[in-house]
Amino acid sequence: MQLTAEHITTFILSISIMLLFAKVLGEIFSKLKQPAIVGEIVAGILLGPTVFGMISPDTFQWLFPQQGVIKIALDSFTTIAVILLLLISGLDVDLSIVLSQGKKAISTSFMGLVVPFILGFAVSYLFPQLMGIGEDGSKFVFALFMGTALSISALPVIAKTLMDLNIFKTRLGFIIIAAAMLNDLFGWLIFSIILGLMGANTHGFTFEQTLFFTITFVLLVLSIGKKIINKMIPLIQTKISFPGGILNFILILGFLGAAFTEFIGIHAIFGAFIVGIAIGDSVHLKENTRQIIHQFVSNIFAPLFFVSIGLRVNFIANFDIVIVLTILVLAFTGKVIGCGFGAYWSGLNKNESLVVGFGMNSRGAMEIILGILALQAGLIHEEVFVGLVIMALFTSISSAPFMSYFLKEKDRTKFRNLLQERFVIFTNENEKEKVIGKLVEVASKELKLEREVILKEVMSREKNLPTGIANYLAIPHAKIKIKEPFVAIAINKRGVNFDAADELPCKLIILLLTPENNNEIQLQLLSEIAAKFRNKEQVEKLLELPNASKLCGELKIMDEKGNS
Amino acid sequence: MFSKIGLAISFSPTGKALVKESLRLQKVFNSRLALIHIGERNSESEELLFKTIDEAGANRNNIELIWGEGDPATAIIKAGKEAGIDLLVAGALEKENMLKFYFGSVARKIMREFPSSSLILKSPSLEPVPFKKFFITADYSSRCEKTIRAAFQFALKENAEEFTIIRDFYMPGLTAAIGENKTYDELSSLIDQMKYDEEEKMKLFVNELNLKGLEIKIVCVYGKEGWEDSNYARNNNADIFAVTGPEKKMRFLDRLFPHEIEFSFEALPANLLIIK
Repeated sequence: MQLTAEHITTFILSISIMLLFAKVLGEIFSKLKQPAIVGEIVAGILLGPTVFGMISPDTFQWLFPQQGVIKIALDSFTTIAVILLLLISGLDVDLSIVLSQGKKAISTSFMGLVVPFILGFAVSYLFPQLMGIGEDGSKFVFALFMGTALSISALPVIAKTLMDLNIFKTRLGFIIIAAAMLNDLFGWLIFSIILGLMGANTHGFTFEQTLFFTITFVLLVLSIGKKIINKMIPLIQTKISFPGGILNFILILGFLGAAFTEFIGIHAIFGAFIVGIAIGDSVHLKENTRQIIHQFVSNIFAPLFFVSIGLRVNFIANFDIVIVLTILVLAFTGKVIGCGFGAYWSGLNKNESLVVGFGMNSRGAMEIILGILALQAGLIHEEVFVGLVIMALFTSISSAPFMSYFLKEKDRTKFRNLLQERFVIFTNENEKEKVIGKLVEVASKELKLEREVILKEVMSREKNLPTGIANYLAIPHAKIKIKEPFVAIAINKRGVNFDAADELPCKLIILLLTPENNNEIQLQLLSEIAAKFRNKEQVEKLLELPNASKLCGELKIMDEKGNS
Repeated sequence: MFSKIGLAISFSPTGKALVKESLRLQKVFNSRLALIHIGERNSESEELLFKTIDEAGANRNNIELIWGEGDPATAIIKAGKEAGIDLLVAGALEKENMLKFYFGSVARKIMREFPSSSLILKSPSLEPVPFKKFFITADYSSRCEKTIRAAFQFALKENAEEFTIIRDFYMPGLTAAIGENKTYDELSSLIDQMKYDEEEKMKLFVNELNLKGLEIKIVCVYGKEGWEDSNYARNNNADIFAVTGPEKKMRFLDRLFPHEIEFSFEALPANLLIIK
């Protein structure tokens, strides 16, 4: 079979249309603050049998034939796309972060794998009819797949959600990222083994041989391979044209890894993923190299892949509400409970654990890739695939609102959450010691600690280095024996000298008390408060407010504006 | 600051230089000095050890000699602990070969496991001079606060010319998080903003420590934690690179996927001061 000029024309035309629709809809969804992938899948649904195929079946068949050379060419293209997607996913995985986060990440990740896996396996095996599967021999492998499908996470979506919620660089953010990385590694390993177990290989290896080769490949690439790559990257980045040389190097290694794992009987994507981890681990890999390869894959190959999903499956004809709901319930229950408990057992509190649970619940592109491979391998039917896609999109979209809800409730490291009307006083003192004394009285009553104890700590800190900032603001502070931070505010219109940098008298005095042995909370709150009152006119307006209620209200409005 | 210094000594070519360095440190800290040697004690080995001490110009009577037997690293750690050493000095190659690094050399084991502070000298000198350039890697923990304070005291005693605190930070998955819609310039400015925020936070942290007598420079770098700071110290010809000792026991996996302090163990960026 050979591609004729007509075939080539149709092929290129179909790719152009796919890219055009994917980009337009991806951009629209991005503007709506939704993941671009949702738009790209919708583009596929519009172009596929669900909409375009219904309206104009002949044109659809001509442009996107379901068999023949054009179909083969398109399939090859999407195979390359999925390999590249897993290669860049691997680049983002940093196993050393897992080690530095230690028990919390490992426990969260382990429970986030095991609980959804058991739940998915058990329900699919015991009640296969819920998934539209018969009581035949294939239900065991199907149940294994469902367990794996429910236990995987999507690092890119998770990372983006953490960034949107402004918790990427926090302790919770690092735990979630580390757990998701470990989760991805084991999820893909298990899935590859299932493919091996199905006898999906065509190279005549037994399951045991495939398993042996897989484990050896992982160990070698992540030990010696990683070291060699780390030595080669600086040479390539300096001696060969940039970024062409390094991009070439990454793609060549990725494709070699992919070819090897395909050869040993597990899917090509796994090899690309593991090689991606080894490359991404290099301390010499420049951030702009990562960015360039991300742009290259995310803007060209990923859209083509996600559009191709809609082209393959009729989402309306294959929509089964029972399957969709079953998958959704299993996905939410397994991941939120599993990761939540894992985090809770490792020492996080209830709210933090729920944030971790919902954070890890995003399935995104990884689930869809897993689903399409299972569909191609005949592991699942189209109704289950549609259920998985809907679940992937729904879990990705819902993750941020749930996390945000639990973060807002109890985050006692944010100024906003420490603010209370009864901790605001209006004074008219002329010495800083007196203002501090009044604030300390408020703290003493609330914290049930002796006034003198708190005063001594605050004044001793004040003597070391005055705490006047600028714009009428002073933040006297100390670390004392308390469990949670405390904030009290004094409005002292008369102004007192706190040796502020702009030499202005301080009128807005915020007492900050934080737990001893926790520098991080103190620094976080100090920098948050200092940043909040950078605008002198805004502080002047606050000073004119007549009572505590109005002041707290205005501060909360300022906070929301600052976060939006 | 350090009341008893211990020197792990073998009959290597750097032995005499290590004794000289330790003698200088003994004077700086006004402390006692003990020499720990692991090996069979007989007249021949005693003579060799005395010869090294004499050649270094030390007074034998002012030095405590501790002999031990068995696996060198384990025996040094045990002897140092029993003798109440609070700063263990040892020499080490800048870099070990891959096998030695993974399975542990004497110096690397001391760095990872000695319960008190240690100073690992990568090129001890026969004519030791004070350390002038101090680089300290820091986060905001209480343990790190202790490291900064200890290194600062050390720097004051040495009349150091430079005291730089390095804060390195990394956001794994950042490229994935910002997605396909941001350009490289936007990514760079995002990193710059984060660096600025970290620098401001570190300034606040250092202010809280109330350290006086030496100008403190603060540097924030973005990249793999542990590697970026050690690399910065190396590129700036640090004399001392001070780190906080590992909180938990470092294992094989930590060497396979190095993070934080393991990068400094893997290739010493300068003389390494490990504060515990």
